[in-house]
Amino acid sequence: MTTALTDLRPELHGPEQLDGTLQTKIRRTRREGFKVNWWMTALMLVASLTIMVPLYFTISMALKSPEQAASGTGFAWPADPQWQNFSQAFVLTNYPAAFMSTAFITVLSVLGALAASSMVAYAIVRNWDRKFFRLSYIYLLSAMFVPFPVVILPLIKQTAMFGLDNPLGVAFIHIVGGISFNSLLFIAFLRSVPIELEEAARLDGASTWQTFRKVIFPLLAPLSATVGIFAFLGSWNDFLLPQMLIADPALQTLPVVQQLFQGQFNTNYSLAFASYLMALAPTLLVYLFAQRWIMSGVMRGAVK
Amino acid sequence: MAAVAAAGLVLPACSGAAAGTITTIRLQQNKPEVVEYFNALIKDFESKNPDIRVVQDFNAGNWVPGLIRDSPADVVTNAYSVTVADFTRKGIFADLSDLPAAAMTDPKALELINSFGQYQDSELSALPFSLAAAGVIYNKALFSQHGVDVPTTWSEFLGACTKFQAAGLTPIYGTFKDSWTLGQPYGYASGGTVDLADFFSRMPLTAEDLKSNPDVSFGSDFKIATDKFLKILGFMQKGAGSRSYTDGNAAFAKGGAAMYMQGPWALSELTTINPDLKVGIFALPMSEDPAETKAQVTLDMTFSIVRSTPRLEAAKRFVSYLMDPAVVNAYNNKFSAFSPLKEATVNANPQISGLQPLITSGKYYLNVTNYFPPAITLNNYFQTLALNRNDKAFLTTLDDAWHRVATRNA
Repeated sequence: MTTALTDLRPELHGPEQLDGTLQTKIRRTRREGFKVNWWMTALMLVASLTIMVPLYFTISMALKSPEQAASGTGFAWPADPQWQNFSQAFVLTNYPAAFMSTAFITVLSVLGALAASSMVAYAIVRNWDRKFFRLSYIYLLSAMFVPFPVVILPLIKQTAMFGLDNPLGVAFIHIVGGISFNSLLFIAFLRSVPIELEEAARLDGASTWQTFRKVIFPLLAPLSATVGIFAFLGSWNDFLLPQMLIADPALQTLPVVQQLFQGQFNTNYSLAFASYLMALAPTLLVYLFAQRWIMSGVMRGAVK
Repeated sequence: MAAVAAAGLVLPACSGAAAGTITTIRLQQNKPEVVEYFNALIKDFESKNPDIRVVQDFNAGNWVPGLIRDSPADVVTNAYSVTVADFTRKGIFADLSDLPAAAMTDPKALELINSFGQYQDSELSALPFSLAAAGVIYNKALFSQHGVDVPTTWSEFLGACTKFQAAGLTPIYGTFKDSWTLGQPYGYASGGTVDLADFFSRMPLTAEDLKSNPDVSFGSDFKIATDKFLKILGFMQKGAGSRSYTDGNAAFAKGGAAMYMQGPWALSELTTINPDLKVGIFALPMSEDPAETKAQVTLDMTFSIVRSTPRLEAAKRFVSYLMDPAVVNAYNNKFSAFSPLKEATVNANPQISGLQPLITSGKYYLNVTNYFPPAITLNNYFQTLALNRNDKAFLTTLDDAWHRVATRNA
């Protein structure tokens, strides 16, 4: 170990010097491994309450009867859990159909966002010397300055004309609407990818598509995670677009059918929360399994 | 063509009708809490009319997009107000005056709908299905405990409030945090002192009206109503500004006040919180003559058929089924509302039966908030008034806001 390092940088450190540094390093690492920063831990515990308390409310509310939900402060755990709330909410919202519709939109939006934005970014970055591509970059960015509610009515009209007043249309609008922000992220990242990597592939006879598919896209993986997560959350939780665009009530998505529990003057809290929990479950599961990539992805996106 | 028509006549008789002869219509239903009830009604209708299928859409946000894409629902339910009347005046809805149900409906209820304006000044664009009557909800136990009778005049009402106050009890529970709840007391105060339908028919709606008709204003006609409103608020508990509708339900259900100014929608919430609670409703008397007292209503659910629908016959059959007295009465009995039919059954629910005589004799007016377009943020103005008690500023604000909206309308 020591010799290998010494071999690598012989001109920087003499063997003894390096040995000494390494020793301190190992010692410090060990100490830090055992040392607990109690202040920080306490702070993080308190911070975690911002997630845990609402989650506790959601779960306990979902298991209460309407009488229990209306009494007390709401913190009490239900005396006899009403598991049938879930089956009732399941039937009322026609959960399988709404779930499939939401999942369809989400999968298409995520895949579409990744494919479309990365290709757009690649084309723009590698053709930066041409005026057309520089202009299209500005054109795409300017879309970020158009507030969505301004275009909603024309969008409804257009999607209906093209037969897209269904989940497919919602996914399409999600992809198109996300291109400006997503390709901005991809473009910033692609600028730091050295062109030499591509030249190597070109020398081996790769076409543009092969270069993109085999060399560039794999390099974009960390950023793809970020974009994918944004696209997932945005399309899974979206309310306005499906509410406005989907004409057939049978194809409506989960967030929209859940309005069912909220009247103007009455809210059926226990059924509503049971239903929210069922809609929440996929997001929660995705987070549990993908949190490693989510964390690295979020940090990747932080520095543009 | 004849063959198709013949097939259409024969096939409904056998249960396995071919798909081509079944007409599917869409019902846009605006109340999430009665979705299940309507599913049962639809099932019953379909079993009696095998050639029609009805799809219920409870996504109220789908109505305007439906119009934009030229495929609106065939039948629409609405809580009828000036906002819906906007569609009526533009001729979106079909004329329903030739339906037998129109003749069965109380003319007084139809008048309420038509008072917002008719298409070509003659058409009937909506049929009332349910009248929600609101009044003062009172705690029967507390009233008898303090020896207070249901007031029949304005001064009796003030006397009752003073009596509760002297006994250390909150007379009326206020929930100003949810500004819309103030629409109830203001509704009683204005509906009892102003002929609302007449007043709003004289108010200018467009820039054109504004030029020819400038001398009608809130400042002149709503002075008394606003003063009485402030008097009512004076009997509400301290800290009402930080209490919400949900807080109010919980507090009143647990005996925290003698009276509560809410619509019938609060009744089910109250009994959920305290099943032993005994409540009644009385119409708030606004004058010294008990005969002048009227009930406040909202056209909680009305049916309209979209004019452009190619399935007009099927839609009319569905609406006629829904307007059947048996259906109307059963619905209104179940949801603590009143039937707008001439042959209405008496609602036996003791919680709301206090308003029945007024409804039967046609002594009712629409809640004032129904006359305001959503561009006027009326509830916020109520809240400001409740907190600063400046009646002059409130009335000026209303007049200014109304004129601003009218100027915009061509």
